[in-house]
Amino acid sequence: MTDKIPVNNDQLKVIITREEIKEKVEELGKKITDDYAGKDLVLIGVLRGSIYFLVDLTRKMDIPFAIDFISISQYGEQSDSAGVVRITKDLDLSISGKDVLVVEDIVDTGLSLGYLLRNLKTRNPADLKVCTLLNVEARRIVEVPVDYKGFEIPNIFVVGYGLDYNEKYRNLRYIAEFDRP
Amino acid sequence: MGIITISREFGSGGETIARLVAEKTKFHLVNKETIIKGLSDYGIEQPPEDPEKAVSKEDIGPDGRNYIEAMHDYIYDLAIRNNLVILGRGGSFLFKDYPPALHVRVIAQFTHRVNKVMKLYGLNSETAVKLVKEKDHEKRQYYRRIFDLNWNNTRPYDLVLNTEKMGLEDAADIVVAGYRIHAEPRQVKDGPDGTDIENGILTSPAEEEADKFMHSSEEEFASMLDFYRIRWDYEPKTFLLEWDSEGNVIEAFSPDFYLPDQDLYIELTTQKPKQSWRKNRKIRRMKELYPHVSVRLIDKKSFESLLKKHHPEESKGE
Repeated sequence: MTDKIPVNNDQLKVIITREEIKEKVEELGKKITDDYAGKDLVLIGVLRGSIYFLVDLTRKMDIPFAIDFISISQYGEQSDSAGVVRITKDLDLSISGKDVLVVEDIVDTGLSLGYLLRNLKTRNPADLKVCTLLNVEARRIVEVPVDYKGFEIPNIFVVGYGLDYNEKYRNLRYIAEFDRP
Repeated sequence: MGIITISREFGSGGETIARLVAEKTKFHLVNKETIIKGLSDYGIEQPPEDPEKAVSKEDIGPDGRNYIEAMHDYIYDLAIRNNLVILGRGGSFLFKDYPPALHVRVIAQFTHRVNKVMKLYGLNSETAVKLVKEKDHEKRQYYRRIFDLNWNNTRPYDLVLNTEKMGLEDAADIVVAGYRIHAEPRQVKDGPDGTDIENGILTSPAEEEADKFMHSSEEEFASMLDFYRIRWDYEPKTFLLEWDSEGNVIEAFSPDFYLPDQDLYIELTTQKPKQSWRKNRKIRRMKELYPHVSVRLIDKKSFESLLKKHHPEESKGE
C-alpha cells in the first residue's frame, strides 16, 4: 500500500499495513514462546514507543513472563546538551538471574540501546536479548545485537504503532513514512 | 617588548623559521626546552604526569595546572624585559591582547609534511605518518585542554605561511618584514570608494560563525557520543592510500572518529552527495587496502536525520 493519506494536513505514506504488523507480531510471539519455554522470562518495554508492540506481542505469547518498563533520556532532549544519558524511569523488578528480553519499537543508531544493554548487563541477568519491531541498519552507528527483528526499513522517518512525531501519531494502527516539516 | 609568536604544524619547518627569525631580529628564542630549563632554574620542575598529554581537562591534576600557570607567568615575565620569538606554547593566545605582537602560523599539507619528516629523520612512510598524526593530535589536545581553543582555526593569526610554496629562509624574511610593518603601523588613507568596497566584502556574521566552527558537525557528533558514554578519539590514525613511484605519499585518509570499544572508524560528511565523491572514493580505496578495518560513512542525509531526531523542536519550521 503506497497511497498518500492526508492526516491532520500532514503527509503520511503507509509503509507497513495493519495486517502486515498483525502477521509479524504473531510470528514473533510464536517464536519467543518456543524459545523461552520453561525459562524465567522478564520482558522489558522501553518507554514510550514500544508499548503498543509490547502489548500485542504478549497477547501472542503462550508462556508465563513478567513485564517491566524502563526509560532513558535522549540526546538533545534537554537544552543542557552537556549532560550524559541517564535512566529516567528504572525497573521495579530485579533481573538478576532472569532471562531478559528488551522490547523496542525501533533500533536505528544503536546509541541508546547500546547504553541500555551495557546498563542492564551490570545487573547480572542470566540472558539478555533484544526484540525490535523495526530495524534501520542504514542508520546504525554502533553495533548492537538484535535477536528478534520485525521489519527492516530504510533510512526514513516513521510514525505510528507507538512511534511518534512530537508525541503525535502513536495511535495509528499502521506504520507510515512521515514527511517532517 | 617585541613579540613574535610562531605556531606551526609538525613537519612544516616552523622550528627552523623561528630560529632564523630570532637570528635575524636578535630576539630571544623561547620554546618548550628553554621554558623547562628556565623554570627548573627557579626550582619548578615538570610534574611527572605531563599535563600536555592529558586526555581531558579534568585529567590535568593540580600539579599540572600549577605548572602550566608557572609556564605562562614565566613567559609574561620574560616578555617584560626582552624581545621574544615564542615557538608554540599557545603564544598567540597568551599575547592576543598585545597589539604590536605578530602572530604567525606555519602550515603545509599533510602529505608534504609526512614526506619532509621522512627525509629529515630517515623514517619510512608508515612511521612518519604516525609521528605527524601524533604531533598534530597533541597540538589539538593542548589547545583544547589548556586554552579551550580550536587548533584548526587560523583566524587569530596575522600571517599564515604555507611552506610548500616557499623556502624557509624566505619565510623567515617575510616574518621579519611582516613584524617591522606590523609593529610600526603606518597611516593608510582610504578613499570613500575603498571604504565602500571594504564594507561590501565584509563577511556576514553567519559566515564568520561558520568559519569559526569549521567542524561544527564533528563537535555535535562528539557531544552526542559523550552523551551516550561512548569513548571516542578524534582523527587518531591516517591510512595511506596512494604513493608515487618514489614512494612519496600522495593520498592519505584520516577518518574523523575512532570508537575503541567498537573498533570502528567513522567519517562524517555533510557535503551534498555530488561533492562527496572524493570522500567516497577514499573510503572505497581504504576498504580495498585495509579490509580488516571497519569504517562507516555517515552521509549528509543520515547526519541530518540524526540531528532532527535529537532536536525535533529546533528542526521545526526549517
